Amino acid sequence: MKAIVRIILLVSFLPYVLLNLKAFGFFGGLGANPVEAITHDTGIWGIRFLILTLALTPLYHYSKQEVLRKLPKPIGLVAFFYVLNHFLCYAIIDQAGDLGVIVIDIIETPYLIVGWAGFLCLLAVGLASFNSFQEWFNKNRSTISGLVYTAAILGVWHFYWQEKVVSYEAVLDSVMMILLILWRLRISTEKSPS
Amino acid sequence: MSSIRKSKQVIKSSEITPESVYLNRRSVLQTIGTLSTGLAINLFANDSISANENQLNFSPNTGYSTTEPINSYEDITTYNNFYEFGMQKSDPYNYGSQFEPKPWSVKVSGEANKTGVFDLDDLIDINALEERIYRLRCVEAWSMVIPWVGIPLASIIKKLQPKLNAKYVAFETVYRPKQMPGQRRPTLDWPYIEGLTMQEAMHPLTIIAVGLYGKELLNQNGAPMRLVVPWKYGFKSIKSINKIHFQSKKPLTSWNISAPNEYGFLANVNPEVDHPRWSQARERRIGAGFFGTKQPTLMFNGYAEDVAHLYSGISLRRNF
Repeated sequence: MKAIVRIILLVSFLPYVLLNLKAFGFFGGLGANPVEAITHDTGIWGIRFLILTLALTPLYHYSKQEVLRKLPKPIGLVAFFYVLNHFLCYAIIDQAGDLGVIVIDIIETPYLIVGWAGFLCLLAVGLASFNSFQEWFNKNRSTISGLVYTAAILGVWHFYWQEKVVSYEAVLDSVMMILLILWRLRISTEKSPS
Repeated sequence: MSSIRKSKQVIKSSEITPESVYLNRRSVLQTIGTLSTGLAINLFANDSISANENQLNFSPNTGYSTTEPINSYEDITTYNNFYEFGMQKSDPYNYGSQFEPKPWSVKVSGEANKTGVFDLDDLIDINALEERIYRLRCVEAWSMVIPWVGIPLASIIKKLQPKLNAKYVAFETVYRPKQMPGQRRPTLDWPYIEGLTMQEAMHPLTIIAVGLYGKELLNQNGAPMRLVVPWKYGFKSIKSINKIHFQSKKPLTSWNISAPNEYGFLANVNPEVDHPRWSQARERRIGAGFFGTKQPTLMFNGYAEDVAHLYSGISLRRNF
């Protein structure tokens, strides 16, 4: 069981490894706009892993595969890893860490406000994941879950809102989120076992 | 254009624009991997970067050219918004080789004395080609400096003798879904359409470009001929033009159709008028470096001295 989880974790870092290889010129490099390429790549994988994290619950509900019960926390942290890189790329590489510029940029740019809000939600969950908070984490699963859902919704919105024309990825992610939310609502309104 | 090979004194780009002012095209990290980058480019199945590399005979125009560092040929030909080939920046480079820019003809119609179908060579006087080094500012808030080769649109318009009621010039990109995979998807209403006021079209800055870096345009840059209006957002500079129409009514434009509250007809570069979803006050100059490379956007993309008078008395906030 532990081995499977570890393998899945390793695999989930492959996109990050690939990105780093590209930064050193392999696989065609990062292109003419490397900052954009890194920001986009980390953001895309962040949202994909976030959606995957949320999808694990219905997947376990129907398949009853034990391993799926063990995955939400590690996969969720992988998602946070990508999103953290995404934010740091923006803050440090793009804006050279200039706090004043960052604050103004976020205020002026609607899709950044959404992104920042989503990031804060995910940051809270990430911080609460430390082992010292394990007891609180286990007792407040619904709060954690609510924060992750909020982060995912804001993340998809953030992505959607900065495209000139809607891409297939944005449509797909939005559809996945809607399905997940609908499933969640359906589960929570089910009272007695059938 | 096949008549222009390396005739008499071809002025090489390298003589006019010294290597030292070329922008460092990749980040510090990536220059470590230049060998592998070179390899990687050769791994691409197509030859988009070496196709159609016909030299052009042109004269420099320092009056309208900027002295800022020019972007590398690699950046200019591998990072493009040309949704006819796909929505990614690398799609025009990756899929552009399917497109055949020659032979090319342009259909001229509307309020003009000289209408009909013209060969490319009939519209473009190959002995009058100039180099214009212009800034190009995309609405997405990135920019480049590009050494175009072309002629003023005004010289073409004069040939076509527009009538007095021709207040606007409309343009259309070719519709070839078989050669342009992006046109098979409803990303925009194909074919791409754009337009200018007659004043803007006749302005000396406005050119029809047939080349860059002293060579004919590659497919991903809008071969064989495209518009360049440097004081407007890049989407106004319509590519692969095969229709020109003179009219009295304001033309429809593709991005305005797609999102009327986001993309206007004038689309003048203006740091004081934001896009509804992002600020236009700053831009990233491609190739300028890795850390904190955003710079302030200039009014009319730095061409205010030449074009501001065209818009005196107009609210640029309402007429974005």
